Amino acid sequence: MSLLKFEHVGLQYPTLEKPILQNIHYTVQKGDFVVVLGANGSGKSSLLKLLDGRYKLSEGKIFLNHTDLSTLSLRARSHHIHTLTQNAKDNLFFSLTIFENYQLIRKGQAEEATGSLKEYLSTFNVNLADKLDVLVERLSGGEQQALALALAVLYPPEILLLDEHTSALDPKTAAHLMALTAQIVQERRMTALFTTHNVNHALDYGDRILALKEGRVHACIERSEKKNLSTEQLLAQCY
Amino acid sequence: MFALLLATLTQSLTLIPLALGINLSYTILRATDMTIDGSFVLGAGVFAQLVTLGFSPYLAFVAALVCGALAGSFTAFLQNGGKVDPLLAGILSSFILYSVNMVVMGRPNINLLTTPTLFSAAFVHSSVWGWLSVALLIAMIVIAFYSVLQSRVGLSLRAFGDNAPLLARQGYPVTRLRVMGFGLNNLLAAASGAITAQIIGYADIGMGVGMTLIGIGAIVLGQHLILPFIHRHYLRAGSELIAAFVGIALYFFILNGLLRLNINPIYLKLLLGVLLALFLRTATQKARLSS
Repeated sequence: MSLLKFEHVGLQYPTLEKPILQNIHYTVQKGDFVVVLGANGSGKSSLLKLLDGRYKLSEGKIFLNHTDLSTLSLRARSHHIHTLTQNAKDNLFFSLTIFENYQLIRKGQAEEATGSLKEYLSTFNVNLADKLDVLVERLSGGEQQALALALAVLYPPEILLLDEHTSALDPKTAAHLMALTAQIVQERRMTALFTTHNVNHALDYGDRILALKEGRVHACIERSEKKNLSTEQLLAQCY
Repeated sequence: MFALLLATLTQSLTLIPLALGINLSYTILRATDMTIDGSFVLGAGVFAQLVTLGFSPYLAFVAALVCGALAGSFTAFLQNGGKVDPLLAGILSSFILYSVNMVVMGRPNINLLTTPTLFSAAFVHSSVWGWLSVALLIAMIVIAFYSVLQSRVGLSLRAFGDNAPLLARQGYPVTRLRVMGFGLNNLLAAASGAITAQIIGYADIGMGVGMTLIGIGAIVLGQHLILPFIHRHYLRAGSELIAAFVGIALYFFILNGLLRLNINPIYLKLLLGVLLALFLRTATQKARLSS
């Protein structure tokens, strides 16, 4: 079932001559884990920013459940789409405590005791349950991103946008967080778009791979094709 | 010494709402809101003009608060959509408010010595009663402000100052929050202006000059002294209020101390300015080291 449809999408900055994205035509099915590959400046992050409302389309349309995304306010989008970026400062309120970040996600809903948050965080296999009163800025990078993930899926959005969210972490923490992310996306039946430079992550976790080059779709690799690809073959196809 | 302490206490009492307002803009919203220089005078001017025209002092005080909130909302309106930088928006509003205040007041100075005010009856009874009634009004303002800070709105304002784009992506109405935050801090400045005019017995077009700077200096000084001892973040709002009280009291203690040392008033702002610069530099350095 089609969840997200890009129809001839283009993005142009007023200050740049060359468009950032050109004629992107692609459909994401519900439950897909789509890995977006491409060199720096290929338009991967810009594609995600169009979805969460940080950028506005210059051309074409994006449909979410057959609704034109441009007709949805940021508030309405936030019910469907949540973004995690590589910079933890974009994902969390650093000068607030873990519990205050949780309260903000809960918005106007009835206050829950800290006990339920402790229980919830313990399911994420990270040692945050005893730090509810700690400012986010005092947590390690891995803890910050794990917390961001936990809060992002508190009310699972339909689409989780992962913009190289593990790239600023050490390899061990990044591998742990990536495995946790994939597990949560699958368990909560979310759809994910994940930008990365790590082709192994693409092979390990991606259902489908979308490769961008100079703002255009360079390659689309489906599940059946991906199975038979080696890292080298994928690199050759996507870059 | 007693006279020095008494002068410090009475002067800082009237500026407590202003210090709370600056705490809101500088510490919570993380913006230097220069509108305060103008909204302080606006509060004093609206109150003085209305009571002079024969309106009830209660009504005049409420009108002063509303006008202060409107001035702050105008500054927020200028910033909305990233159209004007927050600092520039505040300077612009303050610039415009000079004319607005002149229009409101009709003249550069309004005398209140013979006009009934919120505190005149209490001061006629005795000076102690007078100051107690001032303290009571300030206490009510502090409690109301503290309740806002501790509420969900207060948390949203803190989040706004921390990361407004993230708050917007989470579906919060950031435009409304900006108006609310700037409206509230200028409402508090206007409250201070209206109270100060009643205590000193006049409203003057120039009485707001440098208020933002004094407030920021006092807040930074107070936080510098208090916050290192507060390690529990649920005590943050309370400790910020205490820091504002301590900072403003210390500012007036130093000011009165300098006056008592017979320092030529010409050099007063120079000396206070150097002291504030030193506090700000030390505080910034300390913040850098701790981060």
